[in-house]
Amino acid sequence: MRKIAVLTVVAFCTAMLFSSLALAARKTIIKIGINAPLTGDIPKVGEGTKYAAQMWLEDIEKAGGLEVGGKKYEVELVIEDNESKAESAVKANTKMITQDDVLAIVGPQSSKQAVPAGEVANKYKTVMISPWSTNPSTTLDRPYVFRGCFLDPFQGPVVANFITEEFGFTKAAVLYDVASDYPKGLAEVFKQAWEEKHGPGSVVAYESFTTKDTDFSSQLTKIVKSGAQVLFTPQYYNEVPLIVSQAKDLGWTGPIVGSDSWGSAETIELCGEDCYGLFFSSHYAAAGAKGATKAFIDRYEKTYGYIPDDVAALTWDALRLAQQAIQDTGKLTGKIEKDREAVRDALARIKDFDGITGKMTFTEEGDPIKCAVIVKINNQGEYEFYGSSCP
Amino acid sequence: MGIVKKFQQMFSTVPMLGWFLGILTAVLIEYFWGYDYISYYLGLPKIPVLFGALIMLKEPLMIPGALAYDLIVYVIPVLAVAKLTSPFTNQGAALLEKLPLWLSAVLHLVFLYAVLHLWAGINDYRVLIVKLTLISIILTVSINVINGYQGEFSCSHPGFMALGAYVSSILTLVLFTNDKIFGTALLPPALAPYCFPIVLVIGGAAAAVGSLAVAIPSFRTRGDYLAIISLAFMFIVKSAIENLHIIGGARGMGGQPDLAPLPVIFIWTTLCIWIIHNFVTSIFGKALNTVRDDEAAAESMTIKTRKTKMTAFMFGAFWAGVAGGLFAHVLTYINPGMFSINRLAEILAMVYFGGLNSIVGSIVGAVSINVLGEALRPLELFKWIIIPLILIFVMIFRPYGLISFTEINTKKLLEAKKHKTKQGVSS
Repeated sequence: MRKIAVLTVVAFCTAMLFSSLALAARKTIIKIGINAPLTGDIPKVGEGTKYAAQMWLEDIEKAGGLEVGGKKYEVELVIEDNESKAESAVKANTKMITQDDVLAIVGPQSSKQAVPAGEVANKYKTVMISPWSTNPSTTLDRPYVFRGCFLDPFQGPVVANFITEEFGFTKAAVLYDVASDYPKGLAEVFKQAWEEKHGPGSVVAYESFTTKDTDFSSQLTKIVKSGAQVLFTPQYYNEVPLIVSQAKDLGWTGPIVGSDSWGSAETIELCGEDCYGLFFSSHYAAAGAKGATKAFIDRYEKTYGYIPDDVAALTWDALRLAQQAIQDTGKLTGKIEKDREAVRDALARIKDFDGITGKMTFTEEGDPIKCAVIVKINNQGEYEFYGSSCP
Repeated sequence: MGIVKKFQQMFSTVPMLGWFLGILTAVLIEYFWGYDYISYYLGLPKIPVLFGALIMLKEPLMIPGALAYDLIVYVIPVLAVAKLTSPFTNQGAALLEKLPLWLSAVLHLVFLYAVLHLWAGINDYRVLIVKLTLISIILTVSINVINGYQGEFSCSHPGFMALGAYVSSILTLVLFTNDKIFGTALLPPALAPYCFPIVLVIGGAAAAVGSLAVAIPSFRTRGDYLAIISLAFMFIVKSAIENLHIIGGARGMGGQPDLAPLPVIFIWTTLCIWIIHNFVTSIFGKALNTVRDDEAAAESMTIKTRKTKMTAFMFGAFWAGVAGGLFAHVLTYINPGMFSINRLAEILAMVYFGGLNSIVGSIVGAVSINVLGEALRPLELFKWIIIPLILIFVMIFRPYGLISFTEINTKKLLEAKKHKTKQGVSS
C-alpha cells in the first residue's frame, strides 16, 4: 500500500517537474487545418498538399507571423491524414475543428472525401476550402465551404471544344472508372457536351472499369474497333500510364486526351515517352510559366526536387486565400466561433484574387470563376501551356 | 510482479458499481476543472482528447504534461474513489443484487451511459469516435456469430452493411427529407426520430434477405467455398450500387437527417449485445457450436444443420444491416466505396484480434482497433505498420484472439465483492 502511494507521488512529482511548458499562458495562435490523403490510394496528392502547406508556413514564419489588424499572430499548421477514406476525412475534420480549434481548413482534395467533410465543416461553421474537388455537391448549399478550382460541368465542355477545334474530330471514345466519383462525373459531362456538338451517337465507345483494375485490354480493344478518333480518359496518375501504354500496344494511334487529374508530377514519371505529345485540361501549366507562378514552381522544385503538380499549386492558392480572408477580417477576437464567421464573410467578399492558377472571384455557392488551361506534354516530358479557355 | 499482485488484491473488493463511481468522479473532475485549471497549469493547450495519446505522439515535449494530466484526472481519482467508497458501493451492490438481474443490469447500464455521455460530451471529436466505436462493436459481435460461433469464414459483412445503409437511407430520405432525388418529404420530419428504429429494422431485414443469396447456394459447401461466394457477394453489392444512378451511383448519397445521436447508438449496441448473447447461449447457440465442431455428429443428434446455419447467417446479417443504417446516419453520407475490401479487412481484424466465439472478445477487439487507429493518427504511414504488427503478434501468441471462448457472466460481474475478503481467498 505504502509502496504504491510513494510510487504515485514520485511519478507525479517528476511529471510536474518535467512539464517544461507548465504555467505558460494560452495565447491566440492562428491554426490552419490541412486535411490530406497522406496514405491510401493517392499519397502523391497528399504529399503535394503537405509540401505546399509547409512552404506557405515558411513564408509566414519568415515574416514573423501573420499580421491581422496591426498585430502579429503565430501560425500553426495542423496536418491530418484522411487515408483517402470518407469517414476518416470526417473524423479528421471533426478533430481539427473541435479539438485543435482551427480557424480554417484546407482540403480534402478528392470529392469523395470533400463532400462528407464539407458537411462537418458547414455544421460547425468553419471555413473549408477544398483546392481540388470538382464535384458540385461539395459546396452546394454550404455557405462555409469553398473550393479553389473550376467544376466538372465547366471542364467537360472545355475539353470537348478543344478536341473539336484542334483536330476536327467527330467520333470520340471515353474510358473511365465507374466506381470513382470524379472520373465518372466528368465522363458524363464530356459525353453530354460532345453529343451536343456532334449529334447523338458521336461518342462511339463509352467504356468503364473499376478502381484498382490494371488490365484494360478488353475495353481498349472495343474502343480501337469502334472507329473512334480520340480517346478521352479522365483518370488519375496511377491509371493513366497503364491505359496509354496498353492502348498503344493494342494499336491505338489517335490522340489520348485527359483532364486535370493527369496533372500530377507522377504521371510523366510512370508513363515516360508514351505520354509525350498528349493533351489534358488543367488548372495551370508549369513549363513556360511567368511571374509569381514561376517563382512558386522554382522554389518548390528547389526544395523538394520535382516540379509541383496542380494539387500543390491549388493548395498554395487556397492557403493564400485563407490568409487573405483572415487578414481582411481586420481583427481577431480570440473567440474562435466569432473569428470563423468573420473569416467566412471576408472570404466570400474577395474579388479578383490573383492566384498562381489564375484570377478568382467566388460565386454565391463558393465556387471560383476562373480559366481552364490546355496543357501539352512536350517532348521533354514537361507540362507546357497550349491554350486557355475562360468562362 | 509482487506489486501487481498486491495491487490486484487491494482492488479485488471493489464492485462494478465502485468502478463506475470512480470513473464518474474522474469525468466530473475533467468536466469542471479539466480545461480551466488542470490542463492550463500543465501547459497543455486543451483537454487531451484521447488520454493524451495524440498530443504525446505529435509533440514529445508534452509527454510529461499529458501523463500528469492522466494521473491527476483519471488514475488517481478512479483508484482512490473506487477504493475508499468500496464499503458503501458494496452495500449498494448488495442491495441491487436483491433486485431481479435484468433490473440491476439496466441500472448499471444507465450509470455507464451517464459516465460515457459526460466523458464524450466534453468534445465532439470524442462523441464521433465513441459513436463509430459502438457501431464497430455491433459489426464485430454480429460477424462473430458467423465466423466464431458458426465457424464459417464469411466475407460479405460489408455487403450486408451496405444493404442496410442504403435501404435505411433511402427510407429516411423518401419519408422525412426534402431531397433532390426523391422529392418532398412524405411524412413530417418531426416523426423521424420515432420511426427511425423501424427504418433500421427494415434495413436489417433487407440485409438478412440479401444474405439468403449467399446462404442458399453455399451452405452445401464449407470453408473456403463460402469465403469465395461471400466475397463475390460483397463485390456484387458494391458494383450494383455503383451502377444504380437513381441512388447516386459512385457519387454516393448524402443528406440523410442526423438521426443517430449517442444515446440512440448506445441503446442499439446494448440491445445487439444482449440479443446476441441470448442467442448464442440458447439451445440454438449450442446447436450452432455443435454444427461447427462436427456436422455429421450434429445431424445424427437430430439437429437440423441447414436450418441452423441459415438462421444464424441471417441473424448476423441483420445486425450488420442495422450497423450500416446507423453508420449512414452518423456520417450523413454514404458511397459504395465505403463498403469494400478495406472495410472487410477492418471488420475481420477486429473480430480475430478480439477473439472468436466470445462477445467480450468482440467488444475488446472493436474498441482496441478503433482506439488504436485514432490514437496512432499522428504517425501517419507508420500507423499502418504498427497495427498490422500487433495483429501478427496476437495471431502468433494467441491464435484465437485475445479473449476467445469466454462468455459474459452478468451476475458475477455486478455482484458485491465484500464476502470475498472475509474469506480471505483471492481468486
